[in-house]
Amino acid sequence: MTGVSFETKVVRGVTLRQAPAREPCFTCVDLDSEMAEWPDMSDMSRRERIHRHMNNEAGALEIAALCVSDFPDAPWELRMLLARQAADEARHATLLYRRLRELGGYKGEFPIANYEWGVTGMLENLPGRLAVQNRTFEAGLIDLLGALRNTWREAGDGVTADLLDGILADEITHVRFANRWIRQMTEQDPTVLLKVAMAVRFLGRANENVAIREGEVNAVGVPLKPKAAPAVNVDDRLAADFTEDEVKEVLRQAGFRSILPSRLAERASA
Amino acid sequence: MGLSIREKADAVATFRFISVYLMETLARWVPTTPELEVKVLFGRHLWDLAQHADAFGKRTAELRLGLHQSRRPTAAFMVVLETMAGAAGTPERLDGFFEVLMPDLGSRCRRYLDETDHLMDEPTVRILERVLADFTRMRRDREQLGQERPDLPTADRAWLERLRRMAASARDYVDFRPPPKTAEVV
Repeated sequence: MTGVSFETKVVRGVTLRQAPAREPCFTCVDLDSEMAEWPDMSDMSRRERIHRHMNNEAGALEIAALCVSDFPDAPWELRMLLARQAADEARHATLLYRRLRELGGYKGEFPIANYEWGVTGMLENLPGRLAVQNRTFEAGLIDLLGALRNTWREAGDGVTADLLDGILADEITHVRFANRWIRQMTEQDPTVLLKVAMAVRFLGRANENVAIREGEVNAVGVPLKPKAAPAVNVDDRLAADFTEDEVKEVLRQAGFRSILPSRLAERASA
Repeated sequence: MGLSIREKADAVATFRFISVYLMETLARWVPTTPELEVKVLFGRHLWDLAQHADAFGKRTAELRLGLHQSRRPTAAFMVVLETMAGAAGTPERLDGFFEVLMPDLGSRCRRYLDETDHLMDEPTVRILERVLADFTRMRRDREQLGQERPDLPTADRAWLERLRRMAASARDYVDFRPPPKTAEVV
């Protein structure tokens, strides 16, 4: 990727890529304190959750598409996987938009943020983007969706629960190909590991800067507190080609909380 | 029947170039197109174009040109591609791609099918038939989008007409390699 210029913005001292194009009906914000999220499963909260997820899938589509256009010299097989990922994310955004309308919602009903795009779009190399978007954000989504499908089912909405489970199956494949390609690229060129490390460091710094601060409330007056990491979806992370050691490390960071307990989770917490 | 192996290889490699170019164009348009319904349509279709490029690229190897070899089209056809890819507004992007480029490319695929021996060149024929079937579905998706978003304005007619005329005048799109000398292995 050479000679590509793009607009940036500074959010709490960290420089991020300017948001991708959105229709005027959307209000784009940068911080959790500007979002309108509710902790319950009221009708309003359900629509907001779907609305937020829909925009996140659109963002994932945009990041995959950006990788396709920014790295014409990447191996063809990897470009194919990114093109496929773009189509998957497009399908997810469409499915969620359809569900949003079924629940009486509409585009622009709630504020949206494009944080993942803002961070990943700043990275100038493909291994770095795969490490941040696929291996970190999307891997986090594996954990989140593993828990959310149960939340929705327990709230009596099996349709959304099934939809989220379908999305989860696709996300596993996106994380898996990133894991495999990063491994392969690192074997061919050990300096790739440095690019990955720098990308993850940038993400860590960005996360720190935008983290929720003491006493903050969001746009609808809900007090904010640091979100607990969702339970680790051990089996799906293994299916996404994380090594056992990597999953154990994530389990350790999450205080050994796991769903779908497997032999690994048992071993890690022993 | 008309086409030599070398000419077939050049044509298939050109189809690959065009497919990759269009895939990259849609990929560039995804983040810069505001309308969600259009954004996701481009996102789904760029995967179709990637699959076309992949099939053409495997075929170039079978035609002695090497795996995933692309061949840049003639200068006249490149201008058509670049003009379409330069569209900044959503209506021009939609109509330039679906109303001009795709039908034009479809007619070039059919012209190849008319010129080649369907038995001798059956693998290429099958690829082109699948591509044409995909184009039909993709244009149907575009029509569906029009029903979902009737508020989207239509493209600048003068620009569209100019693009159409450019495409019509760029009849030759394959930049064929010169014939080999007798001793050259092709």
